[in-house]
Amino acid sequence: MFAGMDEPTYRRSHFLPRTRDGKIAIGAFLALFLLAMPPVTHAVLNRIEPTVLGVPFLYVALLAIYCSLIGVLVWALRRGV
Amino acid sequence: METWVIATSLIGLYLVFTIVLGFIANRHMTVDMEDFLLYGRQAGFVVLYLTVVASFHSAFAFLGSGGFFYTHGIGFWAAGAWTLLVGAITYVLGTRIWALGKAFGYITPADMLADFYESEAVRVAVAVVSVVFTILYIQVQAQGLGYIINVASDGRVTQNLGTLVLLVVAAIYLMAGGLRAVYWTDVLQGIWMYIAVWVGAIVLSYELFGGPLELWRQVVAQRPDLLTLPGPKGFFTPGMWVGMSIMLSFGIILQPHMMIRFYTAVDAKTIKLLGATTPIYLMSLYIPAALVGLGGAIVMPGLVGAEADRIFPLLLFEYANPWLTGVILAGATAAAMSTLDSILHANMTVLTRDVYQRYIAPEESQSHYVWVGRGIVMGLLVVGYFLSVVKLNFLVVLVTLSGAGALQLMPAILGVCFPGGHTLSRSGVVWGIVAGLVTLYVTLWLTPHPLGMHGGLWGLLVNTAVAIGVSIFTEKPSRETIDRVHGEIEKFVYGTGE
Repeated sequence: MFAGMDEPTYRRSHFLPRTRDGKIAIGAFLALFLLAMPPVTHAVLNRIEPTVLGVPFLYVALLAIYCSLIGVLVWALRRGV
Repeated sequence: METWVIATSLIGLYLVFTIVLGFIANRHMTVDMEDFLLYGRQAGFVVLYLTVVASFHSAFAFLGSGGFFYTHGIGFWAAGAWTLLVGAITYVLGTRIWALGKAFGYITPADMLADFYESEAVRVAVAVVSVVFTILYIQVQAQGLGYIINVASDGRVTQNLGTLVLLVVAAIYLMAGGLRAVYWTDVLQGIWMYIAVWVGAIVLSYELFGGPLELWRQVVAQRPDLLTLPGPKGFFTPGMWVGMSIMLSFGIILQPHMMIRFYTAVDAKTIKLLGATTPIYLMSLYIPAALVGLGGAIVMPGLVGAEADRIFPLLLFEYANPWLTGVILAGATAAAMSTLDSILHANMTVLTRDVYQRYIAPEESQSHYVWVGRGIVMGLLVVGYFLSVVKLNFLVVLVTLSGAGALQLMPAILGVCFPGGHTLSRSGVVWGIVAGLVTLYVTLWLTPHPLGMHGGLWGLLVNTAVAIGVSIFTEKPSRETIDRVHGEIEKFVYGTGE
């Protein structure tokens, strides 16, 4: 008997997704979330111009990222992740 | 009619309505601990949604966040990141907590952790953290309420009297209807505060600038220093941004009044729907807050400290219609009361379940515990009022630490809810919490936010390192318990548990 062959399935890590949809959801959420974190926020998004309808770039860019993150959560819900 | 008369009357009407709701909830209640403390685990989506968002946002989110934008600029838009994280945590972690609560009858966070780690020391440590750090929130919210009443009445009702009246009202409907009353009043409060803050900000932006877009244009032209990071006072460093995102998501979700909400859902799908949609409400509440704070910086420059935090009511009294001001200040009252009643309830639950039932009177009837819970609410009312009116130095320290206190439960909770890693030991959990709290004292009080990173994050890092380190050398929970709890998680998530 090889070590671990009779291990129950729940000893497999729950920190890593196992299904395809789970991997997509986690990957997309993490990728987008990192866009809303330093260094991206402080180095890339940190500017006023170009404004969008007068609203500064940093604010609009973060709003777009936040809306995309909500989209990922809703997608995960619809896919039953 | 004068503004203060309208504002005070509307708040009074609102308070009467919450008491009526409390007594209606009482008529639907059965004499049962799960019903009194956990809504009978029957909370549906709408009720749970509004109670979660209303409890998450306190008086600070309503009034203080405008002040944060006023002082530190656009950096407070990081709020979007932590509210999104709240959704994800609810989706992934909240469903697991719900499943374990349903399977094993957990009522408090300490129930879950003490069961898994097979330790009364863990139960006591968790109960102490749960009560000590959230009871101080009672003080914060009660003081906020007193302040709102004081402002609404234009100084005619003192802050202390306002605090007392609102604490008594919250205690009355909580004692009458238990968590059902809290949830029902939160529905009203959640709707009211959201509409109030949006209407207030939009009306002010039209009144003062001709609309939100023109407001932004004027901020760009006159105060560009408010529109880049780290802000005019250098507050929003990268470390602070990350730290606040973690502390104000995990740190709030892991507080007992939020964790208990997961136990109350009628099913897991409700929690998932909650996780996917709460960020819409939570994040969008900071859009009008930005308008208030940044617009205020243009029309009322020069405010500092506590005065800056009052920018929203100051603008309302100066520029808004008295009726609108009254409605919005009643909304602020709703924001504070929805958090206050939830914390009162959580403390009552922890003290009834983890202390009284566990160590003092374990074999009493269900109705006995319900009445003891009501008595504890009375005690909390007295303690909350005392903490609100008495200025003690050590309380100032604890309030500073309180926001990050519950965050110290994170390693232990992840160890329960996420199988597959190295299981922590009971000693590891307890010593991790102790080390985390000591670190908080240093990094939030003695030398705030070392190296520009939020003190709460330092506490979490040290806590995690100590918990893992101690666990290597000390006894783990029994294989039987790990199999039982992690098997339940596996079955719930993947349907393959044994």
